[in-house]
Amino acid sequence: MIKEEVHGATEEEQQAQSKKAMKKQQKEAEKAAKKAEKQAKLAAEQQSTDEDDFAKDRYGVSVMVQSQQKLDRTLVRVQDLAPEKADQLIWLRARVHTSRAKGKQCFLVLRQQQFNVQALVAVGDRASKQMVKFAANITKESIVDVEALVRKVEQKIESCSQQDVELHIERIFVISQAEPRLPLQLEDAVRPDGEGDEEGRATVNQDTKLDNRVIDLRTTTSQAIFRLQSGVCQLFRDTLTNKGFVEIQTPKIISAASEGGANVFTVSYFKTSAYLAQSPQLYKQMCICADFDKVFCVGPVFRAEDSNTHRHLTEFVGLDIEMAFNYHYHEVIDSITDTMVQIFKGLRDNFQTEIQTVNKQFPSEPFKFLEPTLRLEYTEAVAMLREAGVEMGDEDDLSTPNEKLLGRLVKEKYDTDFYVLDKYPLAVRPFYTMPDPNNPKYSNSYDMFMRGEEILSGAQRIHDAQLLTDRAVHHQIDLEKIKSYIDSFRYGAPPHGGGGIGLERVCMLYLGLHNVRQTSMFPRDPKRLTP
Amino acid sequence: MPMYQVKPVCGGEMNVDVPTCMYKLPNIHAQQGNSRTSEHALQNGEVDSAVKALEVRQDEIMRKLYELKAAVEGLAKTVTTPDADLDLTVSSSLSSQACSSTLFKGATDLDTLLGKDLGALRDIVINANPAQPPLTLLVLHSLLCQRYRVLSTVHVHSSVTSVPPQLLSCLGPRHADSYARHMFQLGFTLIWKDVPKLQMKFSVQNMCPIEGEANVARFLFKLLAPYPSDPALATLVDSWVDTAFFQLADCSAKERAVVLRALNSTLGRSPWLVGSEFSLADIACWCCVLQSGAAPSAPSNVQRWLMACENLGHFGPAKLLLQ
Repeated sequence: MIKEEVHGATEEEQQAQSKKAMKKQQKEAEKAAKKAEKQAKLAAEQQSTDEDDFAKDRYGVSVMVQSQQKLDRTLVRVQDLAPEKADQLIWLRARVHTSRAKGKQCFLVLRQQQFNVQALVAVGDRASKQMVKFAANITKESIVDVEALVRKVEQKIESCSQQDVELHIERIFVISQAEPRLPLQLEDAVRPDGEGDEEGRATVNQDTKLDNRVIDLRTTTSQAIFRLQSGVCQLFRDTLTNKGFVEIQTPKIISAASEGGANVFTVSYFKTSAYLAQSPQLYKQMCICADFDKVFCVGPVFRAEDSNTHRHLTEFVGLDIEMAFNYHYHEVIDSITDTMVQIFKGLRDNFQTEIQTVNKQFPSEPFKFLEPTLRLEYTEAVAMLREAGVEMGDEDDLSTPNEKLLGRLVKEKYDTDFYVLDKYPLAVRPFYTMPDPNNPKYSNSYDMFMRGEEILSGAQRIHDAQLLTDRAVHHQIDLEKIKSYIDSFRYGAPPHGGGGIGLERVCMLYLGLHNVRQTSMFPRDPKRLTP
Repeated sequence: MPMYQVKPVCGGEMNVDVPTCMYKLPNIHAQQGNSRTSEHALQNGEVDSAVKALEVRQDEIMRKLYELKAAVEGLAKTVTTPDADLDLTVSSSLSSQACSSTLFKGATDLDTLLGKDLGALRDIVINANPAQPPLTLLVLHSLLCQRYRVLSTVHVHSSVTSVPPQLLSCLGPRHADSYARHMFQLGFTLIWKDVPKLQMKFSVQNMCPIEGEANVARFLFKLLAPYPSDPALATLVDSWVDTAFFQLADCSAKERAVVLRALNSTLGRSPWLVGSEFSLADIACWCCVLQSGAAPSAPSNVQRWLMACENLGHFGPAKLLLQ
């Protein structure tokens, strides 16, 4: 009985359900009918429009470029669009930055790297209503080929980099279509901090930017940053080559940890394990012992430091210098500081537009420096800090806040963002640092600072095997592990010194940015391995 | 003489009322009282021979010191009186450098002038525009170099694109010890920078920047010699310095002519502009006269004074820049 009842109940339920389903079906049928009607209408419309679209072959989505044919068409660069090109019919390939339809016309902003230009499709004898509609519906960031007339404009177009001309589009073909939903909007990504809050507009946070780095790199700010970074590298190479330095390549897989032993990445190496180089230090020094006299290298450096700060990366590009000197390690300091000054000057003179572009999003004071570079001694720095109320011992290392404070004090007095601090206490430097000849507490070592942050740390190295052994023993380093290093000085080694600079840090500090990830194209930190 | 002696504080005869409830003891000091008489005599009468010898020695030392002081004063007079200087310039065969080191006397101690040394080099930073090289400061710099161990450095600020080579070497060749900053008493850092007005920074913590070449010159001169203690003379120096910078340096020819006449009449009465000694007034006026280009057409007393200044030998660096 009970079963039956249950059965009955389910039947009832089923009946009820079928009733519901019936209703649903009915509704759906109605909907479908409506839809079909609409579609028919639309198709009819389409047909009718297609029929009287005289500009049919002037727009469309072109077939995928598979190198079917080699056209002799010359494409003009957006940055070359100037009033001199007025009234010329040109071809151009660019991205659709924005599009805005307005009745019978559609305004597009076409972008090529950091340059952009306004373009216009208007219903007329060349373009049809359908063509305008098509242009308005091209998704942002799609790549298009455009044939257009260059026209001078009466009023400057403030929103574009090419302010004096606009394009009157005659043909437009989509070469590569972007998906309609972008993970981030370019305008949002370049909006200065703070401005978004006021107007209720969006800004893009760092992680979103880094997750979608390809799109983020298209922004004017990113374009400018990485062009400037390339400039730093170029200037570094040019200056040093002119000074008679030789560029060397050093291995990145090494058998023993070069500095200390902490902070190295271990990788499996066939049946044993190896390490990723923390710095090309040993190899630079070996090259000096091999009579290359002055060497530099540009290459990746790995640090297994689990520090999530604004200025630490686990992999970065090191610009390393090592040189033999004659009598005093200040010859090395002079060489390095002069190289830095040449880089700063080159950036100041040749990268002003890039600097201004970055400044629009991240305002900062222009980078100031002195030539020759200001050199202060460690004891002086300690005295300056004490005068400012900081309590520290003579041989204490500078803490990060103290470095910043010192940077401010130096800037106030000398008005320079770049200076050298010389004669560090021996106790806070690595074992291979040459001690000061007059005061055993100090050493022939130096740090260089940009905007109060350390960018380079260097020293005169010990080039005497015996002294090196003594110092290593004093630091309780296992002599077996550094045997090959010490051995390289046994067969005559010239006195030498050097230092290493982090490319990303230099760019960040030169531009006054606040995070080193902004100047690393695909940054690696303890929490990020992709993209 | 094992111990020093003291006279009795109160008289020997004193009647003390002794309570009768206690028993009496004989005076324990009374027995020694008799043996003390000879020492009493020493204390009241003649002095011990050892003390005497000491006094004689002290007198001798003092006498020698007075002699030395007189000798030095005599020497200073012959060297620093303007007449003696003028004699030198007239004969002009003698090296003027020889007397220059003793030109400015007076107690000037960097610790009292610039505050206690905290271990940092006392660095005077001067921001100057390369369009207007501060000649007076270069003269004062060379004077400071004779007085102290000065670390001189020239920098170019990034706000200036290029600077003529003579401005880079205007503080003379590099000091041989310049690699060790701690070995110097004073730093003189000249920065060629795009500044509207010359600027000096010393201690950013306790001092605001000093603006204007005249004011910086006053500051630097005080490191060499104290200002005249006579307020009237001090005011005269100040007044001449201002005249030099406001009326000679960049003004109409008419105004300049008036100042030159005033200089001429003052220099007719005394060898130097203020008082009987070479002072900041002379340095400032010399530089401004030369800089304005009025030197060749200056009146005779001014010409003579210009020569006398030059013969002191401090104006070398400034002259190099004028050429």
